Amino acid sequence: AGRARRLVSILSQALEDCAEQKKKLEYNLTLCRALLGDWKVQTPESPKPENSPKGDQESEPSPKELEDLELLNRALEKALRVRKSTPRNPLEALGAAEGKKAAEKKPATSAVRTQQAPLSKESVPKTIKVTSVCKKAASSKKLSAYMLKAPYRTDPVKAPTSQSSRAPKVAGKSSTKGAALQQARKTVLTASVSQQEFCAAAEPSGSPRSPLQQSSSSFGGSASGENSVAVILQGVDPENDCPGSLAKSPVTQSHTAGDIPMGSITARTFTLQEKRSLLKLPLPYRKAYSRNSRLWEKCHLCQSSSATAAARSRFLERMQATFCSSAPAFSPAEIEEEMIVLRDAHSLLSQYMEAETTGHPTWGREYECLLTLEGLQAAASQCLHKLQLLRAAAESQMVVHPADCVHSVEPSAADCAPLRGRRCGDTGVLATPLLFYSSFQELRDMAALKLQVVMLHQQIDIQKVLIAELLPILESWLPRDDSPSHLYRAVYTQLCEGGERFPVLMNDELPD
Amino acid sequence: FGSTRGMWPGRAGALPAAIGALCRALPPGSRPAPETFRLAKFNRPEAVRAGEAGTDPPDGYCTQIRFVKSVLRYHGYGRPEFYQLPSDGSQGSRELLLAFSWLLNRINLLEQLLTANRVKIGDEASVCTVSRFFCLSSPSHQLDVDVRYLQWLNGRLRFKWRSLHVDRQEQCKLLHKIHSYTSGCHMDQTIGHFSVTETDLIRQPDSYKQLLQLLESETSRLEAFLEWKQLEPVYWHWMVKSRERTLPDEREFCAAVRTITEAVKLKLSDLKYHCAHKKNGMHGSYRLVFKDKRSEPITNVNATEVISKLQMEEATLKRELKRLQEECRHKLDEIAEGLVGVICIPPIKR
Repeated sequence: AGRARRLVSILSQALEDCAEQKKKLEYNLTLCRALLGDWKVQTPESPKPENSPKGDQESEPSPKELEDLELLNRALEKALRVRKSTPRNPLEALGAAEGKKAAEKKPATSAVRTQQAPLSKESVPKTIKVTSVCKKAASSKKLSAYMLKAPYRTDPVKAPTSQSSRAPKVAGKSSTKGAALQQARKTVLTASVSQQEFCAAAEPSGSPRSPLQQSSSSFGGSASGENSVAVILQGVDPENDCPGSLAKSPVTQSHTAGDIPMGSITARTFTLQEKRSLLKLPLPYRKAYSRNSRLWEKCHLCQSSSATAAARSRFLERMQATFCSSAPAFSPAEIEEEMIVLRDAHSLLSQYMEAETTGHPTWGREYECLLTLEGLQAAASQCLHKLQLLRAAAESQMVVHPADCVHSVEPSAADCAPLRGRRCGDTGVLATPLLFYSSFQELRDMAALKLQVVMLHQQIDIQKVLIAELLPILESWLPRDDSPSHLYRAVYTQLCEGGERFPVLMNDELPD
Repeated sequence: FGSTRGMWPGRAGALPAAIGALCRALPPGSRPAPETFRLAKFNRPEAVRAGEAGTDPPDGYCTQIRFVKSVLRYHGYGRPEFYQLPSDGSQGSRELLLAFSWLLNRINLLEQLLTANRVKIGDEASVCTVSRFFCLSSPSHQLDVDVRYLQWLNGRLRFKWRSLHVDRQEQCKLLHKIHSYTSGCHMDQTIGHFSVTETDLIRQPDSYKQLLQLLESETSRLEAFLEWKQLEPVYWHWMVKSRERTLPDEREFCAAVRTITEAVKLKLSDLKYHCAHKKNGMHGSYRLVFKDKRSEPITNVNATEVISKLQMEEATLKRELKRLQEECRHKLDEIAEGLVGVICIPPIKR
């Protein structure tokens, strides 16, 4: 036992800091996990489909979509060829991996066949089924639910991406050319999934998932030609009905791709991994962001004119002249800053010292060492002198304003940071700094190192206080001879081994 | 300043514009009305309460005044009249105006506030490793502490650090995923991908209405700041004119002493550089950006630089810690020799 004045408070403070950091970290982690998980989106269902397309939809296909359309056409041709060559029930192949789901799709298939040509909406549910199958998340219950839903939901999706996503939107059911194009566009997206289905169908017994990666040209599956073709021809909004149908890569996460209840609300889920590059920030934010960053840039570049500088310093001088003459030489802010500098200087000096304690084989080397040491000594004494000045200033601060010098009283308001306490460098005060990392490993290493460095700083500070408070205890025990071995061992552990390993104490008595 | 001169002496229009810009550039919660400045100049009592808005007030008006005084003291403000102001705010608006202006000037208060209150949209990564000093003042009570309690506290601390490390690593993993999934989406090409906040903004736009407002209010503050920078000289001229007209002789003497002290300080500041003190080039908070290709912008920073800097620092600190521990070992060995009948065997070095 002993007296440890500062130790307990320092350790407790360190613990509090850690706990605070951890809390912030956990909050961030929860958010990240939520973002990487399923994004549940509610889409309201309307009993009647709308006739007008959404206002902000694109009215012209982009080059990429044209390209996709081309691919789609080629896929269609191939599928037709495939279909001609194999009379097998496509659904069987499709559903093979799905088990009993195939059975339920049979009635749908026949319905599909009759509706191939017109852009009808009734067969939309089949698409859903197919793609859901593809996602391997469909439940039979869901299928029947779709079958029951005759009217096509054309409401705009209230998804976060719906506002400005590049993906085509739900269209009306008008058979205008524009609508047709839009629907064709949508089918492009469906097709991309359908292509995957082809691949899946091609190897029903094998691993259904891996072929999904293959490109459109690789579907050599015999099965599912017809059904998927039918699928392609339907005007489907993949977003609306096929959760994650925009995925270019298979969703390997086991997310519940929409437990679609048999109710009026349709919930879709998708994940960030699927949506990926299709997301866009909402327009008001984008505008605000660009204005904001432009202004930061301007402020950063804005320089004070010389007139301003002159006026400012004149004001400062006048003010300074009215200051109390007995004011300490350094303000507390300056003391703190200087302390950091001195701490770093001390560390640097120790390093130089260590470098000079190595062997000196030649006289030249020895002479060099001597000169270096002299220089170090001069620097050290200057630092010491500075330290004395700082100490004197601190003490006079205490005298003049005693209530104010205990830092623990400082309020922790957010605005307080610039007003009091560490201001980390005045350079680049208004800059917009970015920190680039180029690989996951880099990010990890940087984080680990950062934590390590902060922890080491803390350890060193604690060590110094330990030295100051624990050693004297031991040293004062010496005259008394009542075996302080436990205490010794504990102190040794803390001071020399960072609390990790223990020395062994043995009785030094020869057995008689 | 007779009342015949009208409300605003000086260049017509420029001063109110300057003061207006100044007020608009301050954070919204702490914004005095421009009129307050004029009142303060004439030391009108009602200006005191309003004038204190420049600094963040904790609860209570008394505490507010005390807080302001402590801030100014911290930065070395030396006007005795200011510190003698009563805490009830019944007088002293002029002193407050002077103090506020001094702080504005001395520590670039506006810039500090703008930077500190900056709306955080990105994934923040702080590069600065300058750790603060622990509270070094002695607590009022002296504890008789069992050393085992200290050991326990220390152990807990080590455990917390480890768990923090694990959490941080996980965060890196998740961040990287989000960054790579969203690359190519950001309208700002330099950045390229979304941050966590931005992604969440897409996912739950309704939760972020306030963010948008904050962003816009910050933008208008920045505009006000730019205006202020243009008109600043007017303000300082006006302030200078508000100085006392007569300087007593003893004040001049003190001023001379002060100058000498300043000169000495300047001389000593050379020492700082002579000591080759480490100047940490990177400070503050950065926005984390995932980019495959290297880029070399001026104010921006690459993780590789940061990593090598951190590695050097880590090595230095490890050396120092080891050194301290070695010293302790020596001392404890000496003590051990004094122990009767006991031999200390140090733990096996790994």
